[in-house]
Parts: sequence; structure tokens; C-alpha cells
Amino acid sequence: MSTQGLVSLAALAALAAISPPALAHHSTAMFDFEKTVEITGSVKDFQWTNPHSWTNVEVQSGAAADVYGLEGMSPNYLARNGWTKHTLNPGDKITFAVHPLKDGRKGGFMVSAKLADGTLLYNLPHFDRPDAAAAREAAATGNAPGASPPAPRP
Amino acid sequence: MKNSFLAALAVLAVAACTPAKPAAESTQSAPDPATQKWAALAKYPDWTGVWEVDWRNSRGMPAKPAMKLTTEYQAKADAYRAAQKQGENLQSDAANCVPPGLPGIMTQPYPIQFLYQPDKIVMIIESYMQFRQVWTDGRTHEVDPDLTFYGDSIGFWDGDTLVVDTIGLNPQNRVAAGVVGHSGKLRVVERIRRVDHDWLEIETTLTDPEVFAEPYTSTTSYRRLDDNIREYICLENNRDSADEQGRPGIKLE
Repeated sequence: MSTQGLVSLAALAALAAISPPALAHHSTAMFDFEKTVEITGSVKDFQWTNPHSWTNVEVQSGAAADVYGLEGMSPNYLARNGWTKHTLNPGDKITFAVHPLKDGRKGGFMVSAKLADGTLLYNLPHFDRPDAAAAREAAATGNAPGASPPAPRP
Repeated sequence: MKNSFLAALAVLAVAACTPAKPAAESTQSAPDPATQKWAALAKYPDWTGVWEVDWRNSRGMPAKPAMKLTTEYQAKADAYRAAQKQGENLQSDAANCVPPGLPGIMTQPYPIQFLYQPDKIVMIIESYMQFRQVWTDGRTHEVDPDLTFYGDSIGFWDGDTLVVDTIGLNPQNRVAAGVVGHSGKLRVVERIRRVDHDWLEIETTLTDPEVFAEPYTSTTSYRRLDDNIREYICLENNRDSADEQGRPGIKLE
């Protein structure tokens, strides 16, 4: 992820992000949830599909453009939180906050999208509250409070 | 042939001449048994809406208690966890769109809807688009049931609480994250109650003599959403995967 167009964002890293709805289908193992980077580019397509939405973003890299693949929350979650299939459109210039892939390929999990007019849309659920760290830990272990029981620890 | 045709005509003629029954008479007669069965559902608690796990724990539910496993299953859980340090067991088959079965299906991110029928209650579960049937017609469990993802469920009403008793569960189902499998003797008892307008609680007790040193009971809180169940086809555009050792994968193109 050392490509041009990616900038570490300390402010966004401090944002308490939590993703239980994403975790039911899979763990966050392939994404670096400790790290948040910024990608600015042009939306190639926005796939409004289950089990995850998917956005391909073209990021200019010199004369060529790299395509970044961003996994996002499902239409089921997003539609209940104000998104529609028209929220992102091909050609839109967007700045995405992303938890990058650990393997270094061009992609990650979409945290948020900042539209050209400055509107900030959260994709991942985010908890802005004092116990957010505990909530994030719960999400990382797949055991949100009040949900599935914690696995026994040795 | 000709005679029967004439006879049919005669019947029609008589029917045409018979005056219609007065309306008052038809309303006074007892409803037929099928109608009575459906009408009887009105006495059950109203669980209209869809119900979603309270991920934000806005009611401040206590943390789940620790599971007490048998020596055998604790060793299995320890080995599973140790392998995670080697990069294995980081992803389950759910990433390949295999549904979790019971009990895991009840604590997924998307909501559940309850449909009442005279002989059963059907749970429509948005995650993976699954359903469960709970027989409420007084039947007993199947003898030697097939072991399936959702098992054999029978239920009865204890006041305003629906009690669901399930056996016959697939040993592949996980009782918790990090605890792989069970003996096939897993029993799940759920006590489901609407506590007020916006909240439903499910107290779940898991027993399996080979897995648990003592029965495990936990309570999950569900928030009512004024919404419907949405479609969720996991294989529509699944880019995630787990290999046989539980290593995660993702397809970019």
C-alpha cells in the first residue's frame, strides 16, 4: 500500500470504528483494522450486492490509473442507514477512508466516503462514545456485548 | 351419460330456486375448525416487526458469562486458539457462505421476523436467508432425528414467553466462536419474550454432556425495527473465502 494516493490519517485512525455486521460473514483478518488510510479517486463502479457492497476506485498514478477494490457493508445494513444504490456513481470524485488489506494488494475495507461537496458518509458503523475501545475489542473477537457468547480463553 | 347430464341440470335448477340463507343465520353458526385455529393465534403476544441484536448494547446488558467446558473440549478450544497464532482458524466457513446453524444464527447482524401459524411458528432470519420451524401443535420430538443445521424444534407458550426446545443439531454447528463442533447431543432451550414495545429478549441455555461441564445460559437483547426482511443471497457477489485451515482470502477482480 505504498502507492501514491494513500496517506495515513492519524485522525481517522483515532476514530472508533466497529464492524459487527461485517463480522458475521467473515472476520477482519485480511484487513488491517488498526490502520486507516485515505484514497482519493474516481468511482469506477459501485456494486450494490450481498454479502458486501464493493466499490472499484481508479486512483491516478502518474499517467496511469490503479484500481483499488473496496469491500463495504451490505445493502441490508447500508439501506437501513441512509445509503442507496445511487449513493456512489461512476465518475464521482471521492475521498475514501480505508482499512487496508494486510497483504499489500490494492484494496481494503471502506470506513467512510467524503463526497465532492464535503458530505461525509460512514460505511462502517462507528461508535462515538467512551467505551468505544471495548466495543472495538468486542468486534475484533466477534463477540459484541449482548450477542454471541465469548469463547473460553485458556 | 345423457341421464346424468339431465340429473345435473335438475340439481342446478333446484339450487337456483333455493332462496339464499338469511345473513343472520350464517353469522350465528360456529366458525369452522380452520378458522378457529387461526383466530386462536390472536391470544399470543404481538411480535410484529423485525428484531435485530442490540449491537450497541444500549440497554447495558451484562457481559456474557464464561463457558465452562469439559476437559476434552477445552483442550480442543486451546488448540484452535494456538493455531490462530500460526495464521490458521482466522476465518470460518461462513466466509464461504455456509450458514452457521443453531445457535449462531440467532446472533447475526441482520434481523429476525416471527410468523405465527396454527401449528408452528416460523422464524425468518435475514442473515443467509434462513428459516426455522418451531412446532407448537403439541407434538413431541422426533425419535432419532437427522442432525441438521436448525434441528428439530418444538415450542410452547409459558404465559407471554415462547419456550423453544431444539435437538437434532448438526455437530458442525459451533456453540461459540473458537469452540469447534459438539457431540450431536447438543440441546438448545430458548425462552423468548417481548419485554416492552421496543425490546425482545432471548435467554438461551445450551447443554451437551460432552462439551459443557455445566449448562451455559446467556441472554441476548433484540431491538424492534419498523422494517421488513430484506433479501440476502450470500453467493451473489462473495469475494471472501476461508481455506481448509481457516486462512482468509479475498478476490479483488
